[in-house]
Amino acid sequence: MTEPFETISSLAKQLDAGRVSSRELVEDAIARTETLNSALNAVIALDKPGALAAADKADKARADGSTSPLLGVPMLHKDIFCTRGVQTSCASKMLADFVPPYDATVVKKLDAAGMVSLGKCNMDEFAMGSSNETSFFGAVKNPWDLNRVPGGSSGGSAAAVAAGLAPLATGTDTGGSIRQPAALCGITGLKPTYGRVSRYGMIAFASSMDQAGPMARTAEDCALVLNAMAGHDPLDSTCADISVPDYSAGLEQSIEGLRVGIPKEFFSSHLNDGVAATVTAAIKELEAAGAVIVDVSLPSTDLGVSTYYVIAPAEASANLSRYDGVRYGYRCDNPSDLQDLYLRSRTEGFGEEVKRRILIGTFTLSAASYDQYFMKAQQVRRLIADEYESVLNDVDVIAGPSAPNTAFVLNDGSKSITDMYMEDVFTIGANLAGLPAISVPAGLVDGLPVGMQLIGSRFGEAQLLNIAHQFQRRTDWHSLTPDLEGLTG
Amino acid sequence: MTDAATVRDVAALARLAISDQDIENATAEFNQTLALFDALSSADTTDVAPMINPLDSAQRLRVDSVETLVDRAGLMQNAPASEEDYFLVPRVLD
Repeated sequence: MTEPFETISSLAKQLDAGRVSSRELVEDAIARTETLNSALNAVIALDKPGALAAADKADKARADGSTSPLLGVPMLHKDIFCTRGVQTSCASKMLADFVPPYDATVVKKLDAAGMVSLGKCNMDEFAMGSSNETSFFGAVKNPWDLNRVPGGSSGGSAAAVAAGLAPLATGTDTGGSIRQPAALCGITGLKPTYGRVSRYGMIAFASSMDQAGPMARTAEDCALVLNAMAGHDPLDSTCADISVPDYSAGLEQSIEGLRVGIPKEFFSSHLNDGVAATVTAAIKELEAAGAVIVDVSLPSTDLGVSTYYVIAPAEASANLSRYDGVRYGYRCDNPSDLQDLYLRSRTEGFGEEVKRRILIGTFTLSAASYDQYFMKAQQVRRLIADEYESVLNDVDVIAGPSAPNTAFVLNDGSKSITDMYMEDVFTIGANLAGLPAISVPAGLVDGLPVGMQLIGSRFGEAQLLNIAHQFQRRTDWHSLTPDLEGLTG
Repeated sequence: MTDAATVRDVAALARLAISDQDIENATAEFNQTLALFDALSSADTTDVAPMINPLDSAQRLRVDSVETLVDRAGLMQNAPASEEDYFLVPRVLD
């Protein structure tokens, strides 16, 4: 068996040296997934024949002289990305039997780079959630403590990487859905700038904020993968036509003299004391590496939650209107007429959190509420984006916690709906403003991972990855792995 | 505060049904979420332009040419009910 917690860059060297084949890696990853997944529920579709065929193809390409840092490396896709011929459910009953006849651009690009997709990861239904408890296929368990959530909505992706099922999983981030689960599972997750990565074939939640990104063990691996994922796509009109730099090239640059802004609002009453202490220590590590720490203010941080939870459900209510039981997706039994078909297919096909958000979104978009809620939220969104822009004119990046708490227990009845929404308080701003942000492992509190978030300027992924990599050269929090001995035997 | 009748009206617009058993809880949750939005009124947005999209630029237009992106048969395979190349729905006209 190969070592399950290897990074992509390490595997690439081993593949290059002929010490291991892609087929061996993929067989081991499948075996590990089959052993661990009954406890984790991180993977909801395993494509063994497809993965083994792709592995053999990669091995042949390497034998024929192809070299690519991603060639033959196994990975998993969040089940929000359309994969030709492979179930794409968005963790919803609505799409439980949906098999796309095409690939998302992200899937195509990673295939073209030679990565081997093992299958699809569990997630919150239609990416709506911060705990991965809203999945139609059941909650994902956090590998660090199986009684706790992995975060969400890319919780299956985060748990899979943390448990060593694959060195990479794709994720999507609309309000923190890459960074928060990355933080809670002790891995590295990057949300690129809005428009950096194509959204084509990525099932839509809130189209003005959705963005795909890599979830891996290290910033170095995220850079390798972003090199392949990013770039212009004529099939997504919001995908920026801006050249893609080599994100790996600048990783070793010194961060001496870089200005890192610490918003006082990120260290507010929302923040758990242990998380605060851990992230403060991580920031001191950046200072020790030569960064200049600057106190800054983002006064509208709390307003971000209200703003996001108006805009995202409004966009979702429009996007999810396509699920009507006619062309694809769930259809109710024996509809009496067309209206009955729409009503019962949607009522039976969507889960509770999805329906809750569609209701709120439909309400805020209705004529009577539009100005009070939707238009107002769009205006506040600009105020928030302007605050970030102003701060980022003074500092190179913003640093703080990725999430206010460590992983909370599953089925925590003490959390109200709005308590759950507050879990996103530190991540939402980057989505509203369209900025890139990364979460890196920063330590443990009571044995549970904590993430430090770095937020950069638009299309400033290279700088974020450079700082994250330099942090990871000085620390080993990203190398810690959960104890799964009891599950693997 | 929004009442149950309004929540039912909104649900009807969204083509979602809420049972009599669930309406009280759904209305309470609805109001709990709306209460979260009250904070927005504290922001002075006088003369602030709404931000629809973070890139804030006009969407790119592509050449207006016909392209076939996906195969029709593959799409039809996902239809809950179909006949030939058509989606079947309950009879609309008698």
